[in-house]
Amino acid sequence: MLTFERPTETAVAATVNSLRASYGDRTVTTHAVREHHSHGEGMQDSALPDVVVFPETNEEIASILKLCNQARIPVIAYGTGTSLEGHLKALYGGVCLDLSRMTKVLEINPEDLDCRVQAGVTREQLNADIRHTGLFFPIDPGANASIGGMSATRASGTNAVRYGTMRENVLGLTVITPDGRIIKTGTRARKSSAGYDLTRLYIGSEGTLGIITEIQLKLYGVPERISAAVCQFGDLHGAVNTVIMAMQLGIPMARIELLDDMQMQACIKYSKLEGLEPKPTLFMEFHGTDAYVSEQIEQMKSITADHGGSDYRFADKPEDRSKLWKARHDVYWAGMSFVPGKQCFATDTCVPISRLADCITEAKRIADASGLICMIVGHVGDGNFHVQITFDPNNADEHQRADDAASRIALVAIEMGGTCTGEHGIGIHKLDALKVEHGEGVDVMRTIKQALDPHNIMNPGKTIPMQ
Amino acid sequence: MIESWQNQIKAAAAKGEKLTIHGSGSKSFLAPQGQGEVLDTRAHAGIVEYDPKELVIVVRCGTAIADVEKAMAAADQMLAFEPPHFGEHATMGGMVASSLSGPRRPYSGAVRDFVLGCKVIDGKGDHLSFGGKVMKNVAGFDVSRLLTGSLGTLGVITEVSFKCLPLPKAQQTRAFEMDAQSAIVAMNRWYAEANPVTATTWVNGKLYVRLAGAEPAVNSAVARLGGEALSDDVDWWRDWREQSHAFFGGDGPLIRVSCKSTAQWGDLANGADMQAIDWGGAQRWLRTASIALPAIREWARAEGGHASVFRGATSQAERSESLQPALSEVSQKIKASFDPYNVFPSLS
Repeated sequence: MLTFERPTETAVAATVNSLRASYGDRTVTTHAVREHHSHGEGMQDSALPDVVVFPETNEEIASILKLCNQARIPVIAYGTGTSLEGHLKALYGGVCLDLSRMTKVLEINPEDLDCRVQAGVTREQLNADIRHTGLFFPIDPGANASIGGMSATRASGTNAVRYGTMRENVLGLTVITPDGRIIKTGTRARKSSAGYDLTRLYIGSEGTLGIITEIQLKLYGVPERISAAVCQFGDLHGAVNTVIMAMQLGIPMARIELLDDMQMQACIKYSKLEGLEPKPTLFMEFHGTDAYVSEQIEQMKSITADHGGSDYRFADKPEDRSKLWKARHDVYWAGMSFVPGKQCFATDTCVPISRLADCITEAKRIADASGLICMIVGHVGDGNFHVQITFDPNNADEHQRADDAASRIALVAIEMGGTCTGEHGIGIHKLDALKVEHGEGVDVMRTIKQALDPHNIMNPGKTIPMQ
Repeated sequence: MIESWQNQIKAAAAKGEKLTIHGSGSKSFLAPQGQGEVLDTRAHAGIVEYDPKELVIVVRCGTAIADVEKAMAAADQMLAFEPPHFGEHATMGGMVASSLSGPRRPYSGAVRDFVLGCKVIDGKGDHLSFGGKVMKNVAGFDVSRLLTGSLGTLGVITEVSFKCLPLPKAQQTRAFEMDAQSAIVAMNRWYAEANPVTATTWVNGKLYVRLAGAEPAVNSAVARLGGEALSDDVDWWRDWREQSHAFFGGDGPLIRVSCKSTAQWGDLANGADMQAIDWGGAQRWLRTASIALPAIREWARAEGGHASVFRGATSQAERSESLQPALSEVSQKIKASFDPYNVFPSLS
């Protein structure tokens, strides 16, 4: 069992004083700044940290952690605040470490297709900094998240079907342990060195084992040709079965995203998409040499035709592609504005590709039965999709129905051999589902947490159920 | 079987005895020296689930890699990390525990990138399940990846699910007469130029580049790169992967160097014929006396990597480099989380 008690006011005050003595005006206790750091996106549940510190070096973070470990003060890392599962909620107050001053790209090695960045570098900054090399970093969760946050939550997004997730794209890390030691996992070599694969353990640990401060990343050559296309379908089944077929044939799609009719209706309105109808739709992107992209498109056209798909609308120019993918990434805001006054949260199930059609059908049935307006959008090539459930936060009954629908959808996915979370993580919202999914395996995770963070100061109450 | 292993582990834990996990023994030269009774994983074999449409295969630990590859090939699929067997009866459990990947590794990913989930009996005798059959899973700590490469020190991996990929429609290998440094440059450049490269090796003055994928992509790459066709390329790459190629013959130790892929050629083994370059430059094989290891390790460190005696090691220190003290402590804590009574061999 993990335990944690909110530190006393005296202990907090002493810690704030020490931090202020060391870091001066980089130690902030104003309500506005604490409020800003008290939540991510998604569910508006928040709890304020006692203080926000803006460290600039590994050594500073190491001394802050040492201080907090001795005083038993919780520490929560903050990148850009785009997590979705309550990862940033300061359940027990404490110190929020805002890494936004650690934005150095430390190395770019174009020949080796890798780079090393500080945790606060955002993916857009990285891509701007490496543009001159002809390389890019493909992981794209939509938000302009920090690389540190993306590593800590094992982020993925629309490109994962081709390029993998953070798990496959991080070569090594610098991590500060709760007792203030600086460790380096992995190397620039492709094969990891002796010992356990600690890089993979820290990726996705949601700030509960240590603070990730530097990340060695794989990079990729910008493809000779990038082509995006949209195809609409008469029914959801046609669209889903197209995706399943494409994956089974091994067509190397760079992105393949499904939006259902309701989601399309919201997106057409919000993102002013012209010439598209509120029908189940696939947004696709193809990467490769000119000949290879043409071949992929021909293969896909024949599959979509067999499943009742429309003619393709292409977006080959960078600005057209950007508009298309911006619309895809804005689905959350589109959903919110579609039903004014309501809030929205998203499920995150992922199932084996062959169960995708069944799972989406069942999820839609549960969503419809809730009586709430729900939209489906997802990275279906990986078997991962989101049901965006809208509800009135001031209406207890609607809130309850939304929660129930989300829990039932997660259980359906787990029963189909899937997971409750493909990319958003556990945070505080999916602790119960984690137990259903992993059973006694959670005990081992808890033992690891206890071993590496004996005083449970690292983002306490998240990721691993306390008991 | 599982229950009997659980009992065996519980009994060993209670008596303070050791157990060694063993499959066919094909890769035991890589693992720390075991002690105590042997737990033979071959007793738990068979494919649990394989529907090619799912792109997932679930196998028991004692299943032969060869049997799995045969079943997958019949459905035009493969284990894309091209695992070395090092023995006719090499098992899937040993493959995961040793985390060895073959020639395709830099281009498709390593064993761990294809492990979707696994079941394990820990040192307390509990049978636990992690991950599952999905391509993406961020539910809790990534324990499946931690077990991959754990060399039998954390528990008995009893069942593993893998992501399957379709076999490429076309494949060709081109050979080029080339010196080592030019080969390193070519390997890196051709891959960066988005050619469908799936293996690159330089040995005995020749660079071998395997191209695979859709037919038009392979054909256009062949036209672009040139070189000579290698007629028996399936056999050639199998020999290379299995280290039955002539380069790997001889009695002296075999040293494996991992480094950044562009690390310049270094004559580390006294003669170009004593070194081979693999994985697009990221892996170098040296045939040399292990006495040369300190200098080779220094070179590897400077090139962002590390070196170890792969075959013919006479000590654990030769087999793997020692860890930074803080890293070693974290590793020990993880070991203790899985195996609190030290039933399984220690990591070093």
